[in-house]
Amino acid sequence: MPPDATEIIVFIALVLGFALAFAPAQSPRRSLLVRGGTGLAGTVAIAAVPTFDLAILVLLTLGVLHAAAGGKRAFAIRLRAPLLAVAMLALAVVLARVEGPVVLARFAAVGLVAGLAAGIGLLPYLHPFDADDAAASSPVAWIAFIGPVLAAVVVARAQGLLTADAGGAFGAMLIGLGLLNMAWGGIATWLTESTTAAWRYSFIADWGLALCGIGLTVSDGRRGALLVLLTIVLGRLPLYLVFRQAAAAKTATERPVNLVVAAMLAGSAPFAGFAARVLLLRGATQLYWPLALVLAAGMLLWLPGSLRLGRSIGAPRRRQALGVALMLAANIAAGLYPLPLLEAARL
Amino acid sequence: MVEAAAAFVAWLGVSMIVLADGRRGLGLGVALAGLGLAAIVFQGHGLVAAAALAVGAAIAAARRLVSGSAGWQIMPPGSTPRLVLCIGAGLLALWIGFGITTGTGAALRFAVMSVVGLAGARVLASDDPAVLLTAVALLALAIAAAAGLSHSAPGMWPYVAAGLIAAAVGWLPVRTPDAA
Repeated sequence: MPPDATEIIVFIALVLGFALAFAPAQSPRRSLLVRGGTGLAGTVAIAAVPTFDLAILVLLTLGVLHAAAGGKRAFAIRLRAPLLAVAMLALAVVLARVEGPVVLARFAAVGLVAGLAAGIGLLPYLHPFDADDAAASSPVAWIAFIGPVLAAVVVARAQGLLTADAGGAFGAMLIGLGLLNMAWGGIATWLTESTTAAWRYSFIADWGLALCGIGLTVSDGRRGALLVLLTIVLGRLPLYLVFRQAAAAKTATERPVNLVVAAMLAGSAPFAGFAARVLLLRGATQLYWPLALVLAAGMLLWLPGSLRLGRSIGAPRRRQALGVALMLAANIAAGLYPLPLLEAARL
Repeated sequence: MVEAAAAFVAWLGVSMIVLADGRRGLGLGVALAGLGLAAIVFQGHGLVAAAALAVGAAIAAARRLVSGSAGWQIMPPGSTPRLVLCIGAGLLALWIGFGITTGTGAALRFAVMSVVGLAGARVLASDDPAVLLTAVALLALAIAAAAGLSHSAPGMWPYVAAGLIAAAVGWLPVRTPDAA
């Protein structure tokens, strides 16, 4: 199992525990436990199986189970993107394994990137989104719960599948896709009408940063990407769950806690997102300094959207407030001293 | 020669799934494609692997024969694009599998690429759960067959897992969307 995937799985399990422990008393915990537990088991299986073929089969099973579990969207709509991801990953594996011209390996890299984007739900394969869908049955389950582990596994497997030339193309495509998602997600978070959709786009913007970091191929880039993925799992996802409760109560406030949350979402110091951004900028400078300029400009797009999202969580009370405080503390700890997290992932 | 015939049967089966909307057509399609893939896998990876795929495909086909839209419904009106897709995808897979790529296993390459490509296309073009789950079963079988292209021995697990998925997916209860 890739060490970074193991670490992400641990944090996913913590977030599931967070959701169960700090959800309001009237929430349907049993349904959350069953769906979240199934998702967690699936992500563990994706990372733990010995071959990429088995990982793709597990992804297929997870996609079908998630689609069959119900929700506001039709079964076909929910099933389409995961199956497209599976088909593209499978074709990529075939092209990577056959003997032939070098260009086939590059097509394999295209398939891996496209499959990854389709599986997570990034541009240009955004999963259709219904703001009324529960978090567990919405595309957020793919983008924030299953996606980080899937990315870690696909990247780890790609290293064994692709040639050096195709690996370079793989990294370049990830950077291009990352910049696109960063720009699109950042602007859409700011300008879209629905606040629920804005949260979804904020995940996409974070994924843009993560893809850029993975594509950089230097160790600082990979470190930054891991921290971004951890902030998605340990920061944005729990806050999205808190927002869903606030949205049900139709509350939006401008208290100090909302500003602190906005700062965390924007990736400001001393939160983990800041350390991630510093590492990404350093990695981009090592590789090609104009890319660092583009990344720095793109990072500014987080500010207006994060203020909006920070207000939308309302004023957390009782156990929710405790949960938000714990989440903020964990993010500050990871931001001030990220080394243990990076060493655990062997980065 | 046997491998080439089996690859053609696999393409014929998945084309039947693309062209048919009724349960008989879908059932025959998954049976043919599963049989073709199992025959190719039998040549390279033995009886157990082939049996896992064949049993999975047989159960999926049997299940499909009792659920979904009635009849064959092969090539209903407006199916010309589907027919063109089947022929075009088959020719492309044939060109890549036998012309562009080298080494042994050309039939396996052709069968896997045509089944994955056409089953994936079917998923994008249909809203019927019976059709979608049939395509899922075939995707699983083709992914397991693709394990045979690996330079290292894939073991039995991909074939057994794919057989289980293909056999089980037809029984999955599909919930209708919740009311808004």
